[in-house]
Amino acid sequence: MGRSKQLEAAGVVIAVALLIFLPRVSSDYVVGIAITAFTFTVAAAALNLVYGYGGLLSFAQLAFWGIGGYCTALWVMDAGGSFWTGLALAAGLNAVLAIAVGWPALRLHRDSFVIVTLAFSLLTFLVARDWVGLTRGPLGLPGLPAPTLFGTKLASTQSIYYLSLAFLVASLGVLYAIVTSRIGRTLLALKQNQPLGLAHGVSPTPYKLFAFAVSAALTGMAGGIQVFYLKIVDPSILDFYYIQAWLIMVIIGGAGTFWGVVIAGLVMAALPEVLRFSNELRMVIYGAILVVAVLALPQGIAGWLRERRIARLRATIERA
Amino acid sequence: MPVDATYLLQLTLNGLMLGLIYALIAAGLALVFGVLEIINFAHGELLMVGAYVMAFALPALGGQYIPAMAVALLASALLGFVLYHGFLARLRDKDFERSILVTMGISMVLLYGCQYLFSATPKMVNTEFGFAGIAVGSIKITWTRVIAAGLAIMAFAFLWFILFRTQFGRAMRAVSINREAALMVGVRPQSVARNAVVIATVLCGLAGAALAPIHLVQPIMGQFLLFKAFALIIIGGLGSMSGAIFAGLALGILESWIGGFFDIIWQEVAGFIVMMAVLLVRPQGLFGQAAVRTG
Repeated sequence: MGRSKQLEAAGVVIAVALLIFLPRVSSDYVVGIAITAFTFTVAAAALNLVYGYGGLLSFAQLAFWGIGGYCTALWVMDAGGSFWTGLALAAGLNAVLAIAVGWPALRLHRDSFVIVTLAFSLLTFLVARDWVGLTRGPLGLPGLPAPTLFGTKLASTQSIYYLSLAFLVASLGVLYAIVTSRIGRTLLALKQNQPLGLAHGVSPTPYKLFAFAVSAALTGMAGGIQVFYLKIVDPSILDFYYIQAWLIMVIIGGAGTFWGVVIAGLVMAALPEVLRFSNELRMVIYGAILVVAVLALPQGIAGWLRERRIARLRATIERA
Repeated sequence: MPVDATYLLQLTLNGLMLGLIYALIAAGLALVFGVLEIINFAHGELLMVGAYVMAFALPALGGQYIPAMAVALLASALLGFVLYHGFLARLRDKDFERSILVTMGISMVLLYGCQYLFSATPKMVNTEFGFAGIAVGSIKITWTRVIAAGLAIMAFAFLWFILFRTQFGRAMRAVSINREAALMVGVRPQSVARNAVVIATVLCGLAGAALAPIHLVQPIMGQFLLFKAFALIIIGGLGSMSGAIFAGLALGILESWIGGFFDIIWQEVAGFIVMMAVLLVRPQGLFGQAAVRTG
């Protein structure tokens, strides 16, 4: 294990330990914000896998989030299943949908992938709003029951907090394993130079579909947890606001930088609540940040720091 | 249900009207895509701004339609100019994703800024014509719709004239057909790109201003139309203006027919279903040139 790996591991252990103690020292309001911050961070990190590593700007994450929420809720309310099987079902359904949507969308080029995934999200929204027989339409499904774990009801905000913290740690573990594996390196290589990858005999589509399916499954589970925290799912779970927030987290954190996006996700999900802006003003500020960040810091804050480090290294080497 | 000829004609006329609006939006989007190779997410908000300028100019000018429309178009042209020089000109070539993110940021600022300033409550706008109109047989069409359709058709004629009969438009077509070759023969990419953005913005502003007295004016109005316009440019073939215009007209009529005979959900979903079908069968679009597969 190199020095930076040791630092990384120490940072993760300390952060998790602090987060485990958070509910003991703060109010339910803060704990509630933290739950949303965790699900958002998983969604942003999953988007980072597709966009940051895979080079595919996917707007379908919004649909996966909403489908995950609806699937889990409907499984519990209408089919009488448990929350946990509902989550697993949401993950599986999303992975299948990701492949079904991704395969035709990847046929032409990256431009059409963007539009097809966007259309998929809008279609999902229309289904949620207009297919009243299945989704109850605009009223949604209120009064979702608390999930049960080994006979105990996870009724308090605190218990949902620990559930979503465990989910955060597990999902980030999966994503970290993927991005540091050969698959992650192949994705990055294809993003940087696809023709070169092709010349080495790498077929890009299976790698991209894999990343897309994994991110869809994780985002769906995050959506499932989020709606059971809110105790209601309605078409507003498919508001464009969510994908905009995740994209900003990925951009600010640095697309293709694992910890940068995680930190940006946690901070940016919590910050507006702390600053107490009105929703409109927050989105105006988010939009302005997005424009400035993309124009001035194309690699995100983490990328900017990395560039500076490389520049410093270079200067030292030249001096020597 | 027996199909009544008057009912069908009414649906077709409504659809044609809707289709002209779609075509205006999609034509601008296709023009910007063709010349700058970017997808403009702020396009819907440009329409919204056109509608809001119209909504404020109309009462200020005592409900006179044409002067208010002129104000809205001027404001749109100015907005397009600022959009290009302030933001789009700073993007480099092949910055497809970044262009989406930047225009999405601009769209958020415009959309939520408008909601913050004027609230999300829809505005009603009245014109000098009120609800007066002309009657075709037993069908009555309000003047605002007739004029909107007339202006849209004039805009297309004007667009055709610019693109095919002026040097300035030929340069635009040249860049969208072959960028490198156009640069080699001395076309200046910056001014061509700026012209394209300004024309697209004015088309969009026209659509918004024409919609203002017909529909409710609200901040969110552009977003959904934009998403449909995306589907349209995929159906028509990315960058193909005639494809986008044709697809827009066809979708307007199709939606109106579907809305007249089926459940409302199918009306909204129709465009996306057609888009998915086109992508599977003919991924380069109905009017697009066959492209090289890259992925």
